[in-house]
Amino acid sequence: MGSFELICPAGNPAALRAAVDAGADAVYLGFRDETNARNFPGLNFSRPELAEAIAYAHARSVQVFVAINTYPQAGNLAPWQRAVDDAARLKADAVILADLGLLDYAAKHHPELRLHLSVQASAANAEAIRLYREAFGVRRVVLPRVLTVPEIARLNAEVDVETEVFVFGGLCPMAEGRCSLSSYATGLSPNKQGVCSPASHVRYEPRGEALASRLGGFTINVFGAGEPAGYPTLCKGRFVPGGGTSRDPAYLFEEPTSLNALALLPELKAAKVCALKIEGRQRGKAYIAAVVAAYRRALDAFDRGLPVPALDLEAMVEGGAQTTGAYTRAWR
Amino acid sequence: MRDPGFMAQDKAQEMAPDTRARDVEVQLTRAGLGFARRLGDRAGGLLLDRLLRILEARHPRAFAALGELPDARLLIDPVDAPAALLLRVGPTLALRVCDRTAEAEATVRGPCARLLDLLEGRIDGDALFFRRELSIEGDTALILALRNTLDGEEMDLFGDVAAAAGPLRHALPVARRNAGRALDLLATARRFAPPPVRWGMTMLERRLIGPRQGA
Repeated sequence: MGSFELICPAGNPAALRAAVDAGADAVYLGFRDETNARNFPGLNFSRPELAEAIAYAHARSVQVFVAINTYPQAGNLAPWQRAVDDAARLKADAVILADLGLLDYAAKHHPELRLHLSVQASAANAEAIRLYREAFGVRRVVLPRVLTVPEIARLNAEVDVETEVFVFGGLCPMAEGRCSLSSYATGLSPNKQGVCSPASHVRYEPRGEALASRLGGFTINVFGAGEPAGYPTLCKGRFVPGGGTSRDPAYLFEEPTSLNALALLPELKAAKVCALKIEGRQRGKAYIAAVVAAYRRALDAFDRGLPVPALDLEAMVEGGAQTTGAYTRAWR
Repeated sequence: MRDPGFMAQDKAQEMAPDTRARDVEVQLTRAGLGFARRLGDRAGGLLLDRLLRILEARHPRAFAALGELPDARLLIDPVDAPAALLLRVGPTLALRVCDRTAEAEATVRGPCARLLDLLEGRIDGDALFFRRELSIEGDTALILALRNTLDGEEMDLFGDVAAAAGPLRHALPVARRNAGRALDLLATARRFAPPPVRWGMTMLERRLIGPRQGA
């Protein structure tokens, strides 16, 4: 193991094999239902597929983490508790949880099961993290993508819990687990049903050479001819502020862009971050293979003290642009 | 496995042997679409039914998932091919050649090479969409379900078909290895052929695969 664990996404068994073969230290994935935050059509794992995936990964000394990171619906806890039971039964290396009740259930019924706190819990201060540690024995916290590197360093100095941070992929600029933008437009919740901008509510319309993306009946962006497109999320929509008509529509929250924190490896190491996470369970296996292999090469070079090779992955990312996000954001 | 769209321009110029074999496969796919269209609904339909059965035998999990989708039609439109495909998912899975204007619940449009890459999981659909090389209309959930289902497979259209061809399956790797040399020979023959023969070759090519994109 080098300076960091490399935690990679998989939305299907082929993507898991691609991630393992490309050099992941651990792969995270979800069941094919609303218990995880990537509940998209045709994505995720059945129980037999998870069993096969774990066998494949463990045979190659790679860990498997199961994300059960949505919030159970009131009066319907069974699917979430069953997901925890099945992950434990199938020998997953950890479950990634966000809900307090589910953390309590997992800690009581599966004390041997390693618990990671999902980014969906938005635990961004030492007090919150200590509570999760003391109450449920959480071993690792996935930090929300709103902290600067110095803030992460201060946090790590105050807590006795491993921290994992996103370094590449789709960038959620909101307080994760608490964002209701998509719910407002579609009636379906990313935090309860696991669907941010559910495909059932997304439509794309060609307008001459332009492309309009609509969510729940609202036009949220129009990409000009040849302009790189982005995901149909409201946080990356383009709007006219104040309902005015004289100004051009502008990005109010975030532009379609993708996180890439490769340049910050020395700072993240100094901040005592334990694991680096790549986003993208919804992406195809070709993307997974390319990104994981590129990050593997970069981390290996970093560990040997060699210059870190550039990733050169802009052609594959949202909006065709990359950012270090909140890690270095000057306005913060 | 790599994203073929993720390639430096200068490298794209000097095509590697596997890239040239891929080029042949794309042209054959376009020619196959033209051929199926010429066969007409009945014979063309039988041909595509056979193709579906071959793929189903090789990828039962994906086809079971497609069969569980609600009954819907997806128009797959390779913009540089002579015809489009209409895929019906749900309990009565079917594939037919059709016009680009055929009615469907969802449409996916892009160059034939990109759609073939997508089918085989060689490229990421989101990346194609971001780069505006792929356009989609209609029922986004249907398109996503199909994309995710196919991406979960290790599909190889020509490999899968060749595997159903008995001993002939051994010919495919040889053909793929030698595609570049064969193309060079063909290009040389074309260059030195008398004008009427060159013209005849061009016409034959157009009849089979339609005009080349950008030509």
